[in-house]
Amino acid sequence: MKRRALNTVLGVGAPVAVIAAWWIVSAGSTNAFFPPLATIMERFQALWLFDRFASDVLPSLRNLGIGYAIAVVVGVVLGFVIATVPVLRAMFEPALHFIRGIPPVALIPILITLIGFGQEMRVTSIVLAATFPTMISTIDGIRAVDTGLRDVCSVYRLRKHERLLRVYLPAAGPQIAAGMQVSLQIGFIVMIASEMLGSSQGIGAMTLLAQQSFLAADMWAGILLLGFLGFAANILFEAARSRVLAWYIGSKRQERAA
Amino acid sequence: MTISSTTRSSAAGRRLDVDAPVAKTVLGAVGAVVLLGGWQLAAASGAFGTGLPTVTDTLAELVRLLGTQVFWVDTGVTVASAAAGLALAVAGGVILGVLIGMFEPVWAATLAITEFLKPIPPIVILPLAVMVFGPTSKMALFLVVAGCLLTVSIQAIAGVRDADPVALATARSYGMGRAETLWRVVLPGATAFIGTAVRVSAPASLVIVVVAGLLGGAPGLGRSIYQAQAGGLYPTLYALVVVLGVLGVASQWASSAVERRVLHWHPSFRKETP
Repeated sequence: MKRRALNTVLGVGAPVAVIAAWWIVSAGSTNAFFPPLATIMERFQALWLFDRFASDVLPSLRNLGIGYAIAVVVGVVLGFVIATVPVLRAMFEPALHFIRGIPPVALIPILITLIGFGQEMRVTSIVLAATFPTMISTIDGIRAVDTGLRDVCSVYRLRKHERLLRVYLPAAGPQIAAGMQVSLQIGFIVMIASEMLGSSQGIGAMTLLAQQSFLAADMWAGILLLGFLGFAANILFEAARSRVLAWYIGSKRQERAA
Repeated sequence: MTISSTTRSSAAGRRLDVDAPVAKTVLGAVGAVVLLGGWQLAAASGAFGTGLPTVTDTLAELVRLLGTQVFWVDTGVTVASAAAGLALAVAGGVILGVLIGMFEPVWAATLAITEFLKPIPPIVILPLAVMVFGPTSKMALFLVVAGCLLTVSIQAIAGVRDADPVALATARSYGMGRAETLWRVVLPGATAFIGTAVRVSAPASLVIVVVAGLLGGAPGLGRSIYQAQAGGLYPTLYALVVVLGVLGVASQWASSAVERRVLHWHPSFRKETP
């Protein structure tokens, strides 16, 4: 128990110590790249709370939200169709693996050529990049559905839609969720990247512009905000996942205990 | 043609076995032709103007690129940056992972920090890297190391902490010292975890180099893509993206092949013999 208490103290204390050290060491800093943390926090407050919140933060988050939602729906539906129609799977699986090999950010220049620099381009690039992980894990998840379960479906003469919604979807759920998590991370990366390419609006654009104008404190404020958002997005996802997949997580825990 | 026992008998006679190797190859080729045909038709219809070159133009451009020296230099720089960054990240990550995983207080102190940093992608610190290093290969290398170091060290920590207590007790009763236990028991046990990290990080390192070139101006294929887009050289743009797809697939394939090769002795890779 004593060791446990020590670990908790260390776990909470170390991050606090790191931030305090950053604050103290950087306090008198005149280095152009590493301004004092106090200055960074001042700029953070001036920029994001809440001067540029509506004009830059909200559009970024809205693009990510819309793009991610479309990507998940398209990914799951296409994944379902491809996984349950064997001919389609055999036809498109090799091509899918090739397209997945392309770094998602490299698709942004193509979309800029096709659609231009607007918000639609950003949403489309998020959709395009985030669809693949969800789709591929949906295909794999459904293919991995236990043959026993398939036989039970046949024995009970379940209709096609019953089979899909009440057996296959829950059975593939954990794997789909894993793909959705990767999709969220990629969507976040593409959100930033799409703003960094020739745009003047959004958190990514603000941060890169600050760098190009050598406003180090503003750039650091942007980095802190993006880091916090990346962390927060993941926490939200984990919370939703443990809610929806409570049955699965519970059964895993029981398995481990047994 | 084999028919699995679970297919319904009424349809069984007509059903094609899509998992036979020949059918797989043929259908895969048909799928590729369908997709490429769709692209060709869309491009030829002129709906997208010059923004969407035809497949034939893109392939012709690709062949032309393959004959230029610039292209090979770009590809070489991209692959070399990714590989060097990955190697540094793996070496650093394993050392960090062993240090953190072996000492419980260090692990407890760093847990919150690694958990906080884990979901943050390296593109977030791209502006900082560009500010400090400028648009150079060094910047790309820094980003790759920054992006892969945490993945490797988190896996190494897990691997070190997962060491089999019985094996550790055996090592102790054989009178092995701390260093020998680490080298002969803990590290071999952690290799499967580290292997997973390398398999995930290899394609990621390539992506990061491309991002560094595209957004930060580091030399390599990423920068060429940016220049092709900005200069309106659309067939070049598409050809380079196709090249990236090939490199991406190759890096995935190579990293799993290496993992299988190096870890063939590990229980998770051994085939069970009935």
